[in-house]
Amino acid sequence: MTATVSPLEFRFVKFDAALTERVADELVAALGIDRPVHIEIDETTPLGRVRATIGDDAIHLHVESGAFEDSKRPREQSETATAVNLGRILLRVRDRLHGGFGEAPPDDELSLRQMAAWETYCAGRLARLGLTVNQQRWLYNFRNRHGFTDAADAAFHQIWTADGLTWGELEAISTAAS
Amino acid sequence: MRKFFPVEELARDARFTQITMRESQADPRSSLVGESTGKRPKTNRLTPSRPDASDAARSLMHGIFVGEIQALEGAGRTCHDFETGDGRTTDTVPFALKLDMARQAWDEARHVEISVKLSDWMGTEIGQFAENTVLFEVACSNDPVLRLAGVNRALEGLAIDVFTTMKEFGDLAGDPYLEFCEDWMLADEVTHVKMGSDWLRRVTEDDPERRKKALEFQSVVDKIFSFGGTRSDSSESPIGLARRFRELAGFTDTEVTEIAEVSLAALEDRKAFSAASLQADATTAS
Amino acid sequence: MADPYKPRAPFAPWDRRQLPGLFDVEETARRVGNYKWAEMKLFEALGGWVATVPELDVKMRLGTHCYHHAWHAELWHKRLPELREMNPDRLTVPANDALVRFVEALTEPEAADQTIEKLVGVYRVFIPHFIAAYTYHKNNTSEITDAPTIRSLGLALQDEFEDWRDGEMMLQSLIVTADEVDRAAAHQAKLEKLMVEAGGIAGPGSIGSV
Repeated sequence: MTATVSPLEFRFVKFDAALTERVADELVAALGIDRPVHIEIDETTPLGRVRATIGDDAIHLHVESGAFEDSKRPREQSETATAVNLGRILLRVRDRLHGGFGEAPPDDELSLRQMAAWETYCAGRLARLGLTVNQQRWLYNFRNRHGFTDAADAAFHQIWTADGLTWGELEAISTAAS
Repeated sequence: MRKFFPVEELARDARFTQITMRESQADPRSSLVGESTGKRPKTNRLTPSRPDASDAARSLMHGIFVGEIQALEGAGRTCHDFETGDGRTTDTVPFALKLDMARQAWDEARHVEISVKLSDWMGTEIGQFAENTVLFEVACSNDPVLRLAGVNRALEGLAIDVFTTMKEFGDLAGDPYLEFCEDWMLADEVTHVKMGSDWLRRVTEDDPERRKKALEFQSVVDKIFSFGGTRSDSSESPIGLARRFRELAGFTDTEVTEIAEVSLAALEDRKAFSAASLQADATTAS
Repeated sequence: MADPYKPRAPFAPWDRRQLPGLFDVEETARRVGNYKWAEMKLFEALGGWVATVPELDVKMRLGTHCYHHAWHAELWHKRLPELREMNPDRLTVPANDALVRFVEALTEPEAADQTIEKLVGVYRVFIPHFIAAYTYHKNNTSEITDAPTIRSLGLALQDEFEDWRDGEMMLQSLIVTADEVDRAAAHQAKLEKLMVEAGGIAGPGSIGSV
């Protein structure tokens, strides 16, 4: 499966469509995504939200430019940020495609707590894939949504180290900790 | 060692990258306009209810961290750059003012230490975000009274707003360290603003022209430090105006109102600039 | 309970302070004025250097130490009127021209790659000379008539020792090659020669004469 990117040239940011395609191709292969991925980058905003639409024939990703941006060098692209932020959304897509997540609400209906739990689950798996992921960043995010407690920290570590969770299992750990 | 150290030469280790305010403002993208996602929140205020709350807080914390470094450097330079004297001319400052600046240097050094610890707690690496050097630029004026107006009253005033916002964020999120640390730093900043107000008044007691010039400079800096609308009473701004703590620091009601107006103007300017940039680009593209 | 009206010795058996001291009021004021001038030059230099050093830990320590020495200058500034000098600025002077040249040489390094030179000047030359002069003064002034100076010397010395240790440890962590050892030693020798010429921070007799 291959990834495509639009636009191919940018006016507001110094991004490289070819780099994005290469990173996406590697992730699609590593994660076993079974259909083409198209990435549409919105360069008019520095925000970093990423949304996915799963179609029968392809996966469409809408990415705000901040998601791929080098935070040290505004408007320039970071390969690490590109890989991690694509990886996070593609893992959520894979979770939905592979089953066990049928009960999960659509992305835009997930609560902040549910999103934090799922993001933790994705980030932990990306770290084990060898991507550069700052665990403390995700722990802080998880604590903000589950509380600054020992129970929340224990839940975080359970989710971070997990593979093969279903939505029900993920939600149960998250709910018990909050 | 020279008097008056240029901002371009601020010494940093390899982790840091620096940008100027001009470079920062040259970014035509804006988070303040556009509805590309269709689900943009109605408010930009930094609160835990924002979906990007933890990342936004981490970014702001890093901004505080580098701001504290520059405030430390600025206070240190004021100890060095001027001879000790009666302060009536722009090349001297009173001995006691230098002592206050040295005290401020220590306070800012502690704030850097606190910021490093907090950033680590929040999962941010040193130098992870670009450093805007505008704060030190303001601290480089050749007139020490302008430094007091720009740094102690405008910059430290902004710090009061930022720390209040972060303290509230920590309180609402239940983050014990963030709320605790911001509370302490806030106390120091109120002291620094009072220090600046007192010295500005004393040094310019017999020189109304110089005081007027300093207050005008402060107004300009207040607008710059509104960071294109980042700080204002509007909920579109991530950082609010901390009226109560500003009053404690010695700002009059009139001064707070003026800052509120300047901040809102900066927000509107920024929105207009972004809208114009996007419009110009759309025209070019078509 | 002991009888509160029973006469007691005014100096308890464990209080062995002596009345005589080496310095009269005028000499004490002269030394204190020299100390204030030197502490001012030191805190001004530390403050100025903060922006010039790239090492974050060093930058923060310099900011902290800047205040320590400003506070010492303030202690001496407040002591001067108590020593019959109602115009503290009159005695806030360098001990001699050699000390002025020492401070000029001390503050000469500015470049970002000269942190070793900056720290050597402060922590291997200037502060050790503060410790020496303060210790000599503390041990030789009248323990009874000059108690306020002794108290200030004690407070300042505590900072000086702790700052010296901080600075020496920063230096040991920065000096990691033979070339850097040579750089540090050469700069120390250059400054130490000027300080010898000055005779210490209060001039000849800063630590008495052996």
